[in-house]
Amino acid sequence: MTLFRPNWQALLSLLATLYSLTAVPFTATMNGSSSYLVIALLLLGAIGSMLRLSAMLEIAILVVSSLGAAALLIGGLTDATGTANAGYFAGLTAAWLLGWRLVTVLSGDGRNLGTLSSLLVPTLFGIWVLILWEAIVRGTGIPFVLLPPPSAIAVRVTTSTSILMADFNQTVLKAVLFGYIVGSLTGFIVAILADRYRFLANGLLPVGNMASALPMIGVAPVMVIWFGFDWQSKAAVVVVMTFFPMLVNTIAGLASAGEMERDLMRTYASTRWQSLFKLRLPAAMPFIFNALKINSTLALIGAIVAEFFGTPVVGMGFRISTEVGRMNLDMVWAEIALAAVVGSLFYGALALLERAVTFWHPSYRR
Amino acid sequence: MKKTIGITMALAVTLMAGAASAADQVTLQLKWVAQAQFAGYYVAQDKGFYEEAGLDVEIKPGGPDIAPEQVIAGGGADVIVDWMGGALAAREKGVGLVNIAQPYKKAGMELVCPADGPIQTVDDFKGHTLGVWFYGNEYPFYAWMNKLGLSTEGGEDGVTVLKQSFDVQPLIQKQADCISVMTYNEYWQLMDAGYKPEDLIVFNYTEMGNDLLEDGLYTLEENLEDPAYVDKMVRFVKASMKGWAYATAHPDEAAAIIIDNGGQDENHQKRMMGEVAKLIGEPDAKLIPEAYERTAKALLDQKIITKEPEGAWTSVVTDKMKM
Repeated sequence: MTLFRPNWQALLSLLATLYSLTAVPFTATMNGSSSYLVIALLLLGAIGSMLRLSAMLEIAILVVSSLGAAALLIGGLTDATGTANAGYFAGLTAAWLLGWRLVTVLSGDGRNLGTLSSLLVPTLFGIWVLILWEAIVRGTGIPFVLLPPPSAIAVRVTTSTSILMADFNQTVLKAVLFGYIVGSLTGFIVAILADRYRFLANGLLPVGNMASALPMIGVAPVMVIWFGFDWQSKAAVVVVMTFFPMLVNTIAGLASAGEMERDLMRTYASTRWQSLFKLRLPAAMPFIFNALKINSTLALIGAIVAEFFGTPVVGMGFRISTEVGRMNLDMVWAEIALAAVVGSLFYGALALLERAVTFWHPSYRR
Repeated sequence: MKKTIGITMALAVTLMAGAASAADQVTLQLKWVAQAQFAGYYVAQDKGFYEEAGLDVEIKPGGPDIAPEQVIAGGGADVIVDWMGGALAAREKGVGLVNIAQPYKKAGMELVCPADGPIQTVDDFKGHTLGVWFYGNEYPFYAWMNKLGLSTEGGEDGVTVLKQSFDVQPLIQKQADCISVMTYNEYWQLMDAGYKPEDLIVFNYTEMGNDLLEDGLYTLEENLEDPAYVDKMVRFVKASMKGWAYATAHPDEAAAIIIDNGGQDENHQKRMMGEVAKLIGEPDAKLIPEAYERTAKALLDQKIITKEPEGAWTSVVTDKMKM
């Protein structure tokens, strides 16, 4: 038993591989030899991961076997949409289990492999989501108009880069950026004023809570009537959506400084403004960044949905809503991917900025 | 798989024939909300024409975010009401839609401009803003601009296209110089907003010979291989056309039925019924090949579809109807 170290993923993978032997060839255009090559790769991976090898060697074997088998399986779908049989999916499951085993090994499994694995694991996860999506959609022949495969979306992204850039420019660089900055800034300034003049806070907060509950679907057409159909009306929707989270969060943040610290400021005879800038604003920073992060997602959603109403014929929301009608679902998904990337980068940049500004905060102590 | 299900169903039906005759299920997905545009189907259901034909029909209203082509691809409907443009685009994307009947002989779409505005004739479009609906309704407009040789990218020599919401606000707000309306719907919203017929310059697509086929009935190709299914469709279309004939003869009653089914504003529905009747003409559901050719060519010219569609319509159902 010194040489042999079984694990459950590899055992299950072995079972699935043996089952797939009964159903060669896997698809209409896949010849027997490439089906057997898949099986050979899977066997290599399953057995290789159960031997006592060094971690690096095991990882190498698993990468080659699981991704190689998946690549061959997806290649076997060329001109054979919807013809995949049970053996095909058994093979796919076996490859996926080996991928799971690979992630387990990378995540440590009792051995520490350093920071590389913390990047590799999510990447592998993402790759497998795409592999399964591609293989299941094309293997079972799900209609293109219900869910296009990722390969078609990737092709669309590369062939329609100019359209995507024009949409990005219209929606993100004009409507989102302008609306986000104006909305967040005015929310912040009004919060400072409300903090200074009590009656403003008492009057504004209930109104703010009510306004933040306004449905965007109702606000957007009104903004189109007020500000015309170009990006200005979309920016106005974003301003409305981002103003109140900032206001409410900043007011809560300004109240978050402790009594003890405030008393200390008072004993130093600090003015109201001094204690605001030296104590209460820094203490409110986590709240303000929280609002900025909430607003980054709200702004993107707001601008895209606002473009479902009257718009010029450019913009991410316009493209999504019209290409659905033209059955170009690959274009719709390309825009969704673009929105996801933009949203993630936006959020990530804010998170980095927050670390730089509020490094002193207790929540960052290790 | 489908065949086995079909055979099982057939067996089940035969077995149940001893009991009360089982009505055949048909789910119809409309292109838009419940309104007189679809009066024939609602009337046929309400008056029991479907029941007489041995059918149990469920009518699903549509809306701005519902693409009938997707509903039928996902198995949510047997038959859909759709425009030929959208159907051909979907057909190229692998949804095997086939037109089995064409109740609407003429198109109801038109472009209207205020008479006191800058646009009096087609020569005045350059440099102006025109409102158009999208969601499959933009094809006739782009085909027409194509014919006029106008760029739709905006600028001095082209037209700026505004994606119009489904109302007449852009004209009232002066955001667009002309907007798209349906003869049976938005045109009357303008009348309600205080415009008079003489206040508007109307470019009617049908009169200009630029019309593309509108509301037709579509089903999936694979279903039509089954004679029993074809027979079901024949009964369905026949009963629907009977509904249309009744609705055009009794517009007030038809409007009341629409209101019962969730339509809005009885007066508006009555007017709509009157206008829709003009588009239907003789209720025989036959597709006019020339109109189909024109539609297909317009889509090809605009590169909405890349190759000449084949088998996108069939007369197998309408031939068997014998009104």
